[in-house]
Amino acid sequence: MLFIIRSTVSIATLPVLTTGEAAQDAWASSLLVVPGTVLIVLLVGGLGIKFKEMTVVEYSAELLGRPLGAVVSSLFLLVFLHFAATDIRVYAEVLISGFTPKTPIPFIVGIVIALAVIASQLGIETIGRMADVLTPLFVLFIALGILGCLVTFDIQHLEPVLSRGSMPIISGALTPTALGAKYLTLAMLIPNTTKPSKALTYAVVSVLLSGVVLIAVATSAVAVLGADLSRNTVFPFFKALRSVRITQLIQRIEALAVISWGYGVFIDVSLLLYSGAKGLSQLLGLDDYRVLLLPLAVIWGFYAVESHDTLLELMHVYRPSTLIPFATVMVFVPYIVLWIAYLIRVRRSHGESG
Amino acid sequence: MKWFKQLKQLFSTKHDDSSTDPANLEDDRLDISEREHLVQSIRLEPSIEANLEALKKMIGPSWDIPIRPLLLGTHRVPAAVVIIEGFSDKNQVAELTQALTVELLNSPLRDTPAESLPEAIVGRLLQSSKIDYADTLDGLWRLLTGGNTVILVDGYNRAIGCSSEGAVYRAIEEPSSETVIRGPRDGFIESIAENMSLVRRRLRTPNLWSERFIVGSLTKTQVAMLYIKGLAHEELIEELRQRISRIRIDGILGAGQIEEFIEDQPASLFPLVFQTERPDRATSMLLEGRIAIMIDGTPFVLCVPTEFSMLLHAPDDYYEKVPSGTILGSLRYLAFWSSILIPGAYTATLTFHQELIPTELLIKIIASREGVPFPVAVEVFLMEFVFELLREAGLRLPKAIGSAVTIVGALILGDAAINAGLVSPPVVIVVALTALSSFSTPTYSFSLAARLSRFVFVILGAVLGLFGVQFGFLLLLMFLTSLRSFGYPYFSPFGPLILSNMKDVLYRTWWWDMIRRPFPVGSREPIRQPPGRKPRPGLEKEEVEKREARRSE
Repeated sequence: MLFIIRSTVSIATLPVLTTGEAAQDAWASSLLVVPGTVLIVLLVGGLGIKFKEMTVVEYSAELLGRPLGAVVSSLFLLVFLHFAATDIRVYAEVLISGFTPKTPIPFIVGIVIALAVIASQLGIETIGRMADVLTPLFVLFIALGILGCLVTFDIQHLEPVLSRGSMPIISGALTPTALGAKYLTLAMLIPNTTKPSKALTYAVVSVLLSGVVLIAVATSAVAVLGADLSRNTVFPFFKALRSVRITQLIQRIEALAVISWGYGVFIDVSLLLYSGAKGLSQLLGLDDYRVLLLPLAVIWGFYAVESHDTLLELMHVYRPSTLIPFATVMVFVPYIVLWIAYLIRVRRSHGESG
Repeated sequence: MKWFKQLKQLFSTKHDDSSTDPANLEDDRLDISEREHLVQSIRLEPSIEANLEALKKMIGPSWDIPIRPLLLGTHRVPAAVVIIEGFSDKNQVAELTQALTVELLNSPLRDTPAESLPEAIVGRLLQSSKIDYADTLDGLWRLLTGGNTVILVDGYNRAIGCSSEGAVYRAIEEPSSETVIRGPRDGFIESIAENMSLVRRRLRTPNLWSERFIVGSLTKTQVAMLYIKGLAHEELIEELRQRISRIRIDGILGAGQIEEFIEDQPASLFPLVFQTERPDRATSMLLEGRIAIMIDGTPFVLCVPTEFSMLLHAPDDYYEKVPSGTILGSLRYLAFWSSILIPGAYTATLTFHQELIPTELLIKIIASREGVPFPVAVEVFLMEFVFELLREAGLRLPKAIGSAVTIVGALILGDAAINAGLVSPPVVIVVALTALSSFSTPTYSFSLAARLSRFVFVILGAVLGLFGVQFGFLLLLMFLTSLRSFGYPYFSPFGPLILSNMKDVLYRTWWWDMIRRPFPVGSREPIRQPPGRKPRPGLEKEEVEKREARRSE
């Protein structure tokens, strides 16, 4: 289920992000992303399974006390908001630039959010099942797309291999790793899973699987377009797919990627909306998160539409220079604080008992 | 609920004890529920005259319930034989009457005194396979409607019911709604007893249990719940039992009514209860741990819990070879989804995304649309509407005219519409394709759902393009995944994804490979058969050794 969230943004944006620094070695960057993300999953999920029955909002209040816990939780809620809004916006931009140039952005944003509201209204179970249904379709479409790319594959684009040293590769891997902060939803989901102790394993597996997709997408984009072109395009994978033309009949296969990306964004946004609403309801001490869905959706919609004027401004969000500090302040630092609080507590209780 | 109480007081039924007198049955002011209550409370008396009087008052002028008075034995004990015409076999009734009159006089029992006569004739004279007793007027009536011949004897305050069922039903024939090429040809009929035996003949274990309910305060319809004890989950049985016994309606006339009373989500367009006319399918459902519900008077048997994938299965899948079954099965999945999506996708592509169509094809389509005065959406809508109209007309008309209408409509109307330039040929192709796809859906009520939802997709495609189609698709999936049938996820094994169930869903594997029963319905005892039963040439090793040992001896 988490696999799909991870893969969504990656498909469209990752190649540009990685190739920006690493050019022809995008695949190596993608390879580096996997351990980085696993680390995040362990950071988030590891603490989660220590508190099997609680979401992060609940146990941060327990570990840090109510006021400080509330601060940490609201940081996390902001992360949900931010990621959901940018995801919707990017999706809308792709649709508009590629398919329906005359459609206003708020329209698409509104529909995606409406779907997410309905899904969250139906509950986490439905979101999970939707992810179950859509993941195979998602993988199938991406695989078909990459298969189409194979025809125009030019292996020479990937050379010279690792010629510019390791720095560009590492910096190219930074952004997607920071996007792994989305695994924060794990902290909200663990109490809902049937086997909380296994959640961590599944999450790590999902990271590995999405790593495979990442590498395949990044490599095919570079191999089709070449390092320079893929660096300068906003959505290289789409451009790569669009350039595919097998006989008269098979062309414009980027529709496949857009469809599958739509599935991904849907799961992604509904999960983030659910997590946000659930977290906020726990923060405010409400019984049911459902009452919060509509107001939250409106806020998120406005944020998605109004936060950025143009696509380029939007892409700025994904630059390492903005994303890394954001992820650090909003996710890594709070989590390290939580871990320290937890460890102190464990030590103390050991001291008391022993 | 206050108004309901007031209403109840207004129409309060006079359930006072004074009304156990049969004479009250003659009172015209009694309303139906009062009459029913009265009948239930009247007990049979030792005097046969009083009993017959009460019976006559109960049935009024009804002419199909003959009462045949008799005098038994040498003591001339007054007695009577009562049946409902058409419920009992005439020969059996005649034999019974003969036994009570001629044979009794010729047998050593003829001098039996009146007080021990009933026991004597039941124990030593009557040859019926089943004897039931009743001691109320209502019970007597139930014996009669059960096809029994009822014997009343003076001095005995019970009615003796001898089984003599002989109601005439249509013959067992191949069900028209589910035909197969290879496979059994028998189908359920309108008699619950016959249907029960059709299943029991296929499933001879004593652990096939059947619980009977009487539903409908006036129709008193028999409803039976069949399950394999020990395989079906007890909670499921309990749940269904509760849902059936909650029904308080006056009449049950078909399976659809019961379906509405027991399904989980009444607003669902998709059927949440599986209906079949085929005993082999009902049996296979039972073998998976599901429950079958039989209703007297209808050949449709309901099976729960239902999954989406069951509705796309055709019985043929299991009687054909595996590879062809698999390919045809997946073809049906494709057909189902295309019957929903194709018109919408066509509208969307031609309205918003012409660039997605290869140029030459696009030119062809545009050229044929030359002069058509409507937008694509209107065209598609128009043709789909006409098609639905034709189908409905063909269905409602007598069979002999029905096919004529369809042909006339399809050929002449379609051709004329194209010639007149009202619709373009591609739209006709699209509509025909959708129609064919929806015909290949094996379950009628399911293809109905697809038919109706497809109009929504045309609208979405016309307004929002492919994005709208996808929006609708996600909405539909969301609805499907949120459905439950008796607490079991409806859209399983896709969502939730249960890979082990896929063996029988997207593709079919050989029977020797179907080692597990589907999860979670059959999870009480998940193993269907031991693994490793694949057919292989040559004798088993042990067999060979045994033979050699025998030969060396």
